[in-house]
Amino acid sequence: MSLRPLKLIWLYFKVNIQNLAAYRFDMYMRIVVSIMHLISELMVVWIIFTGTQNVRGWQWQHMLVLVGVYRMVAGGIRIAIVPNMRKLLEDIREGSLDFALMRPVNTQFLISIREIVVYRVVDMILGLCVAAFGCYKLTGQLPLDEAILFAVLLAAGFVIVYGVWLILGTLCFWFIRVQNIEMVFWNVFEAGRFPIVIYPPGVRWTLTYLIPLAFITTVPAAALIGQESMLTPNAPIWAILMAVAMFIVSNRFWRFGLRHYSGASA
Amino acid sequence: MTQIQVDNLCKTFRVPEREGGFRASVRSIFRRRYRQVHAVDHVTFSVERGEIVGFLGPNGAGKTTTLKMLSGLLHPTEGACTVMGHVPWRREPAYLRRISMLMGQRSQLAWDLPALDSFLVHAAVYDLPKRQYQETVEELIDLLDIRDVLKKQVRTLSLGERMKCEICVSLLHRPEVLFLDEPTIGVDITMQARIRAFVADYNKRYGATIILTSHYMADVTALCKRIIVIDHGKILFDGRLDELSARLAPFKVIKIDLDREIDGYDFSSLGDVLLREARKVLLQVPKRATPTITDRLLRELPVLDLTIEDPPIEDVIARAFGQRRSSDENPGGEATAASGKAGKEFP
Amino acid sequence: MRVIARSFLAFLRAAIGVMVQYRGEIFLWAVWGLINPTVLYLMWSAAAESNVDQTLAGFDRGQFAAYYLCIMIIGHFTTAWDAYELGYFIRSGALSPKLLRPILPIWDSLAQNLAYKIVTLAFVAPAWAVFFFFVRPAFEAVPWQVLLGIVAVMMAGALNYLLGYVVALVAFWSPKLDAVGETYFGIAMIFGGRFAPLATMPPILYDIAWVLPFRWMFAFPAELLMGRIASLEAALSGIGIQFAWLAAAIILFRIGWSAAVKRYTAVSG
Repeated sequence: MSLRPLKLIWLYFKVNIQNLAAYRFDMYMRIVVSIMHLISELMVVWIIFTGTQNVRGWQWQHMLVLVGVYRMVAGGIRIAIVPNMRKLLEDIREGSLDFALMRPVNTQFLISIREIVVYRVVDMILGLCVAAFGCYKLTGQLPLDEAILFAVLLAAGFVIVYGVWLILGTLCFWFIRVQNIEMVFWNVFEAGRFPIVIYPPGVRWTLTYLIPLAFITTVPAAALIGQESMLTPNAPIWAILMAVAMFIVSNRFWRFGLRHYSGASA
Repeated sequence: MTQIQVDNLCKTFRVPEREGGFRASVRSIFRRRYRQVHAVDHVTFSVERGEIVGFLGPNGAGKTTTLKMLSGLLHPTEGACTVMGHVPWRREPAYLRRISMLMGQRSQLAWDLPALDSFLVHAAVYDLPKRQYQETVEELIDLLDIRDVLKKQVRTLSLGERMKCEICVSLLHRPEVLFLDEPTIGVDITMQARIRAFVADYNKRYGATIILTSHYMADVTALCKRIIVIDHGKILFDGRLDELSARLAPFKVIKIDLDREIDGYDFSSLGDVLLREARKVLLQVPKRATPTITDRLLRELPVLDLTIEDPPIEDVIARAFGQRRSSDENPGGEATAASGKAGKEFP
Repeated sequence: MRVIARSFLAFLRAAIGVMVQYRGEIFLWAVWGLINPTVLYLMWSAAAESNVDQTLAGFDRGQFAAYYLCIMIIGHFTTAWDAYELGYFIRSGALSPKLLRPILPIWDSLAQNLAYKIVTLAFVAPAWAVFFFFVRPAFEAVPWQVLLGIVAVMMAGALNYLLGYVVALVAFWSPKLDAVGETYFGIAMIFGGRFAPLATMPPILYDIAWVLPFRWMFAFPAELLMGRIASLEAALSGIGIQFAWLAAAIILFRIGWSAAVKRYTAVSG
């Protein structure tokens, strides 16, 4: 294994920082908007717990942790996953994917690292702070013991989201006109801002095993909170299995799509 | 009757300074420098009713910026201008109804609808009486030969077909003054010729005043008796097409037919040898030296025939602009050129 | 006025033509308007059921269902996206041809907006019906409340559209400014009562909501439609306040638009 992949990432990272300069005001405003989003999410928690003590076992501190995790995930998705997939869709639509295909690098790797929206890190930091604060309010200390499991589950969540996006992106090889595919994702992701337990049993099962949304926000948040009762039994194992499965499936599907693409355009 | 009167029109833009390199761009995330660009710099001219005037100049010369001020899309930094008695940038509906501006790189047609639908919208917006609309549209459809393409979605049309539809829609309200900004850009040569013929015809039919900018010399030479050459926002020349080369080109081309072949005569000491055949020579010489050189040639050589001509207009223009800028290619296109690069190479 | 009416009808007809072609894509936008209120309804009914008396701030499950069904419907009729789109028009230069026409570009945009609402109604109305039959909302409205509620919804649509357009005008000063639109949208979500009925709010937020226009765009028509506003007087004065805000929005638009055009003709063209 050589260092070349890392070098490539660093190179694209640098190019993306340079792009920031061109849209710097936009960047400032987006950071402001991130903060506004967070404030509005916190307000929602505040409003909910003005009228009640707990929602199906989730108290306000738990909910704060979830808000933080939701923001971290939403930010993380916007750092690299969404921008790269947007570019992929654009490339497929305009036929410029050929340039990426000709590079002597693994194509899936290349199309996954081209765009990095650096300032979205702000979202992750803010989210982490809120989540940590929620834990502190709950136990009086920072959840250092739970941090490792949390990090693993968060990473698993990102892998799942990445897989979902790669599958959605690959679909565009066949259906070029699916421009609003991003809306589909955010529409479903919206449901992850609240704990999975608020949903009726059928929806809950769907959002856990069919569309693994539960593993993206609720499960990592529950792990950080560290109470056995919050976590669905065997959730960590399921999450990791799900991530591995998604990675393999999406990779296979991508390669299948690519064969179709180069077959069709030749 | 003077229809367009322009006095000392100026437009200055403030554009961010761009520097290359990683460090510079990181620095400019936090602080940005600006500089002034004089896109149009004290321009004065007037146009009579029914005239067709061609604007010539390289990318970023200020042609489009001038047209935008005349059509009311831009407010000048300085100077005055009236078109048919209106001040364009007041943007009175009464004024907008009497003019039209066709921008080769911008579409006024709804992309996803047949052009005919856009025509109907246009008729409503300009409040055209039904009879008049029917008449005009029929006439234009025939003249432009677009009956077959009207019912197809605009996005499925070829560039030439689309451009003809754009022309049609911008003439539906029979504008008295027409601004054409690159009307033939990207269109193939036969289509260019047809668009040209159509513009000339429209001008004759309705006595409309037309100002045209184009990259294609042929557009201008075919349509415009009068030419305004702009560079760096300033007018370099304003007059008849045939005077242009006389004024701008400090050269003449001497064409010599010889009685017999000669060897060893040093033509290159007299000027640029454009062509050297056995009994035929084309020689480009400085204008002022033309009489002496002609005299010498007649004395020293067995000349059968000698003519003195102006160089081709394309060469004149290219030379006039080429002297100050070696590369004026601008990937950003006309719009950004007008605001962005105009002053960059300014001496 | 006649010219505007004629132009508007022509714009509307063309816009419906376009929307019908893109029905698949605009449907995906409309789905958000269904999912978001449903998720919030589930959230709030779970919260209410966690309380001993099964209610929260005077809402029980059925009332939350009614409220969020109304919000869903009102959300549809108040959708506006100019705050996102105008900046794009300015950047791409597509605004210039629109400015050359002897009519304000807002009429074209308004026609697009109306066309979207009309065309997507075909998808969202059945979804409302499904919500109605499966979730069993508790409606207590009497006919006059429904009638005035419909008026209030239309007023809300006009008000939200115009205020959204005024906010969009910021794009003339900085065309990459989708962020302002998003901020506006977020504030409207909270203080309009879309995230939470106003009655559930802590006192400070409730007071802030009173002085902002957003409650008159969402919470007020929703409460009227579900029958929570009992007195005719309160209903009529609410509609009066909607009118007042609309008048203010028109004034703001007039001032803002002329400043915006001045700015546009100074720098971009």
